[in-house]
Amino acid sequence: MLSRIAEHLYWMARYLERSEDMARLINATTLLLLDLPPKAEFGWDILLRIAGIAELYETRYGNLDEQRIMGFLIADERNPSAIVSCIHQARENSRTFREILPSEFWERLNSLFLFVRDYASASIGNRHDRYAFLSEVIARRHALVGLLVGTMSQDAAYQFVKLGRNMERADMTTRIVDVTTAVILPQRDKLQATLSESLWIGVLRAMSAFEMYRRHVSVEVRGNEVVEFLIRDRKFPRTVYHCLGEMEVALATLPANSAAQGALRRGRKRLDQLDLADLNSAVLHEYLDHLQQDLGSIHRVIHRQYFDPLHRDGSTEDAVARGLADESPGPLATTQFQQHAAF
Amino acid sequence: MDLLSEYYSHQTAYDELINTERQTRPVAQTLISHLAHLGIDTIKARRQAAEAAILAMGITFTVYTEAGNIDRAWPFDVVPRMLAYNEWQRIEAGLKQRVRALNCFIDDLYNAQSIVNDGVFPRAVLKSSRNFRAICRGVHPPLGVWAHICGSDLVRDSDGTIYVLEDNLRVPSGVSYMLENRQIMKRLFPELFQICKPLPIDDYTSRLYDTLAAISPRARSRPIIVVLTPGIYNSAYFEHSYLAQQMGAFLVEGTDLFVGRDDIVYLKTVSGPQRVDVIYRRIDDDYLDPEVFRSDSVLGVRGLMRAWIKGTVAIANAPGAGVADDKVVYAFVPDMIRYYLNEEPILPNVPTYLCMREEDRAYVLEHLDELVIKPTNESGGYGMLIGPRATPEERHRFAQRIQEDPRNYIAQPTLALSTAPTLVGDRLEPRHIDLRPFILQADELYVTTGGLTRVAMQSGSLIVNSSQGGGSKDTWIVDLGDLPCFPA
Repeated sequence: MLSRIAEHLYWMARYLERSEDMARLINATTLLLLDLPPKAEFGWDILLRIAGIAELYETRYGNLDEQRIMGFLIADERNPSAIVSCIHQARENSRTFREILPSEFWERLNSLFLFVRDYASASIGNRHDRYAFLSEVIARRHALVGLLVGTMSQDAAYQFVKLGRNMERADMTTRIVDVTTAVILPQRDKLQATLSESLWIGVLRAMSAFEMYRRHVSVEVRGNEVVEFLIRDRKFPRTVYHCLGEMEVALATLPANSAAQGALRRGRKRLDQLDLADLNSAVLHEYLDHLQQDLGSIHRVIHRQYFDPLHRDGSTEDAVARGLADESPGPLATTQFQQHAAF
Repeated sequence: MDLLSEYYSHQTAYDELINTERQTRPVAQTLISHLAHLGIDTIKARRQAAEAAILAMGITFTVYTEAGNIDRAWPFDVVPRMLAYNEWQRIEAGLKQRVRALNCFIDDLYNAQSIVNDGVFPRAVLKSSRNFRAICRGVHPPLGVWAHICGSDLVRDSDGTIYVLEDNLRVPSGVSYMLENRQIMKRLFPELFQICKPLPIDDYTSRLYDTLAAISPRARSRPIIVVLTPGIYNSAYFEHSYLAQQMGAFLVEGTDLFVGRDDIVYLKTVSGPQRVDVIYRRIDDDYLDPEVFRSDSVLGVRGLMRAWIKGTVAIANAPGAGVADDKVVYAFVPDMIRYYLNEEPILPNVPTYLCMREEDRAYVLEHLDELVIKPTNESGGYGMLIGPRATPEERHRFAQRIQEDPRNYIAQPTLALSTAPTLVGDRLEPRHIDLRPFILQADELYVTTGGLTRVAMQSGSLIVNSSQGGGSKDTWIVDLGDLPCFPA
């Protein structure tokens, strides 16, 4: 399989996952705000911090008001993590391999693109319309995943889609946990404790994990247990542990996978090492930082091994030790030039 | 015969299916009587089905407009164009002869240049050739073949003579549409296939594969073949992906390939670099290798020419083959056939005036209102002047251009292109057509059975190019035996 095609499949899956995650986060945060006491020190900026685009926002808008932040996260094409941008990029990445995926996939992705293009801006203004819009994005994205799971041969192309989806999902889960713990871990008073529970419920809801947490962990929602669940649960599909496991399964069928499997094993080992008994903010933050770096190196190994065969032998060592967030804007279709050949 | 009652009044040129005595030509007898039997409503219903099939099969081509690039459904007419096998055999032989001579010519130009030294081909034309690639001097591609895939345009004039209008030796397209047209017809008129028995065409992609495999530098049972496309925004992208798919080849863009320090071309795959044996390129020379040609090209592969010259990879059509894709060179093809093959040309050229020749130019400037003027290196029917239909201002402008750059223009008499019955609205009307067969040459020569018939969809128009609104038809070669079979 061509490296270019594999890379485009991987990034298409990441962008689609990111668009859904963003839609979930915004919806859950909106619901959460309705429950918070008026004095709670919590604002929309948490979303910017989770997505790692607070600085980008700052340079562009400055003021942290709901309207602008929503516009930035949903409809601003200059923000590479905005929902419109993610879906646009997913569509562009998929244009060159229409024959590799089931033909229905392209049609549905294209129609999601058209839907988002037409309705994104109008959804920013009021919470009701926004909720409807974001729910539709989530539902349509689910249909896309279901289509591939239900109709696509589990060939190499499928595995790259799976790698991209789980990489993005694990990344998003660690970000959410990291930012949330930074916001609420110091539990000074009663208000803070109540706030804490609400926030963690919000987090679980954002990941559609609330019911599963209740069933499999506890009726009470406590910070360290939620962190434990989201990071290490073996069975819930959005946990870091589960995502890494899915990537391992995907990689097992791909050629020359030893370096990538090694990076994955290191990541899993770190998951096992965490002692959640005496959780404190600084330790957890440092730990999640390492986890992010692990994801970053897994990504780089996959990139070097499969997408960039020229640099694979290490002759041109990729010296850039960037965090995953910096690498986010992956390749658009590399073909955005006009044609030249004659007909 | 209701179906054709109005047809005759529109008939102005040689018609492929109906003769001047209002009789159906033998080759079309069964077709026309079957269509008459079906009746116009059924034919219209089949056209609708054809359009639905084209949409469903995703057969598109891209048109450039100011509003952006649009993928259009392939325009298709349901009435096939018919040719008798005995006539076709002569055409086929003529095309093979031409391509053989053209390949001798290209090989000669890049090596001994004996045709120039012997004074048969003017040195001045060679010197001013825009598509001559000096870097190809001294290269000996496998089997001495440069133009492996050629699409020649044929037209029939009012007296019934078939002329070669031009030979496309760079990146000729259309063959996928020829194949898809046949698929659609099989779906729509299966019963007609039984009674008319057109000869099959669907071995083309296998023969193309054989042709490409034959020039592989490595002897392997399955050489690695790639189709090199400029990408999804190219007008013929559908064809590139179709051919790659049908041959089981990789469809690649320039960035999918690289040339190693060993001057070998590699494919970037998830299993690592994989050596490439043959490149069927669908991008022009100019964009092939930024190291040698246009340095700003992002479509090509740096170092590709090094690899090709060294012989580690084969390229079809070879770089530099376009030197023969020049309308001035075209005028010399009959001479080439005599010079290299020592044969008389089987198929005639359209009489051609070279504006670079003083007496030809004087004649052309005198007779602008009778002639078609063509720039020598354009394709797609662009930049032409159709004298009889041009305004005096347009003719004046062209006269100036010819005087400024005579090498760049040729002129030909306006042919009365033959017509064929075409479904227009509620009835059949004559529309002008041409024919593009595809010729393959490597260790063997092969000509498609028929070719892509292109149709000028506007009444009276001579412009058949799909990029300019032309349509297409399936082309049926039918074997009538020795005798024309008129109805009892």
